[in-house]
Amino acid sequence: MQSQQIKKPFLQSVLIVISFFLVWFLLNQISWMKLFEIKKNEIRTEDKLGKLYWKSIKSSEIEVSNKIILNSVDSIIEKICETNGLNKDKFKVHILHNSQINAFALPGGHIIIYTGLITHNDNQDAVTGVICHELAHIELNHVMKKLVKEIGLSALLSAASGSGGEVIKKGSKILSSLAFDRSLEKEADLKAIEYLRNASINPEPLANFLYLLAGEERGLLESLSWISTHPVSKERAEYIIAEINNAEEYTSAISNSTWQALKMEIQELD
Amino acid sequence: MIATKEFDYEPGEHESEKASNSYLMSLVAIIAGLPLPIINLIATFAFYMGNKNGTYFVRWHCTQALLSQISMLFVNSYGFWWSVSIAFTAEEITNKYIAFILAAIIFNLSEFIATVYTAIQTRKGKHVTWWFYSEITNLICKANK
Repeated sequence: MQSQQIKKPFLQSVLIVISFFLVWFLLNQISWMKLFEIKKNEIRTEDKLGKLYWKSIKSSEIEVSNKIILNSVDSIIEKICETNGLNKDKFKVHILHNSQINAFALPGGHIIIYTGLITHNDNQDAVTGVICHELAHIELNHVMKKLVKEIGLSALLSAASGSGGEVIKKGSKILSSLAFDRSLEKEADLKAIEYLRNASINPEPLANFLYLLAGEERGLLESLSWISTHPVSKERAEYIIAEINNAEEYTSAISNSTWQALKMEIQELD
Repeated sequence: MIATKEFDYEPGEHESEKASNSYLMSLVAIIAGLPLPIINLIATFAFYMGNKNGTYFVRWHCTQALLSQISMLFVNSYGFWWSVSIAFTAEEITNKYIAFILAAIIFNLSEFIATVYTAIQTRKGKHVTWWFYSEITNLICKANK
């Protein structure tokens, strides 16, 4: 009698649990993401945030408007996009006149490149590698992931709706000075190598550049901002080297003369 | 799912009021505790403790009200922390999450309606028993000898 009294509610409890999971399973068959246009709204929010962050950065930096510089960098991006099937219109590239070696991505496909990154690099493939790395961060949605983790979704949404000036300032600082998780960095590095390979560009200069940064890291050069946003350079250089296939034939994104002209124009800015 | 049955004795006016209040307590606490699912359980538990030496009818319904809160606590807590992780970490909104929240809303709403109905009927002195919960209540709550 006692066991019968316990058996019945036990079976009923199992039924309740099953019914909940069944309702959950059935509701999961409906595509709510499409129905509520969640992805579209996310893209809209990201675009708004990107514009706000770019406005905030632009107010304290000098944007380069030199056609030769802009067109040369644009050619590099075009080559990468073309060979990797990426939509070039998605990326908004901004070059800032700043001697720091830095490049970073903002929400909404904005890529910020400091002129210091170009002037301090003798090999254009290293610069292309860094650009590929930033393109990868955007393509893999790392920027929003990082912002949500550091600031929080609710704060970002309030910022996107225009009521969070402080959040924008904080976000700009995070995006230009704080590091991504190590796993996200590796993911972006590997994606960058894939982009470079598809464009027949040698990834080795990117690895060499990271080795160089690793050496400079110890010297604590202030101009090396890219280290603070992209740490553990030596380890990263090593796994890039491991991915390199020496048998491949390589080319560069832009001609040597265009690269030299680009460097010269930047030097003239200084 | 819900049945009105004969109780061991005819409850008095005062008993019906107290028993009905145990359900109302859980309702008020649901509204107050929406952001934090544990609040309604704490409130119902406090009411249960306050009436554990009450008459059999009052104790029985306080127990049933408390038990009905516990099962929803698991669902609501899971939904709550899932939402928190979406709002404050890199976790993203997925179809599975929306389906879970909707399932939780359906179950919470059913429980809410059942609770309102039970509170009204119990106030009239009727003995309303819930499927599953009444069986557990019968096991826990025994008549004074």
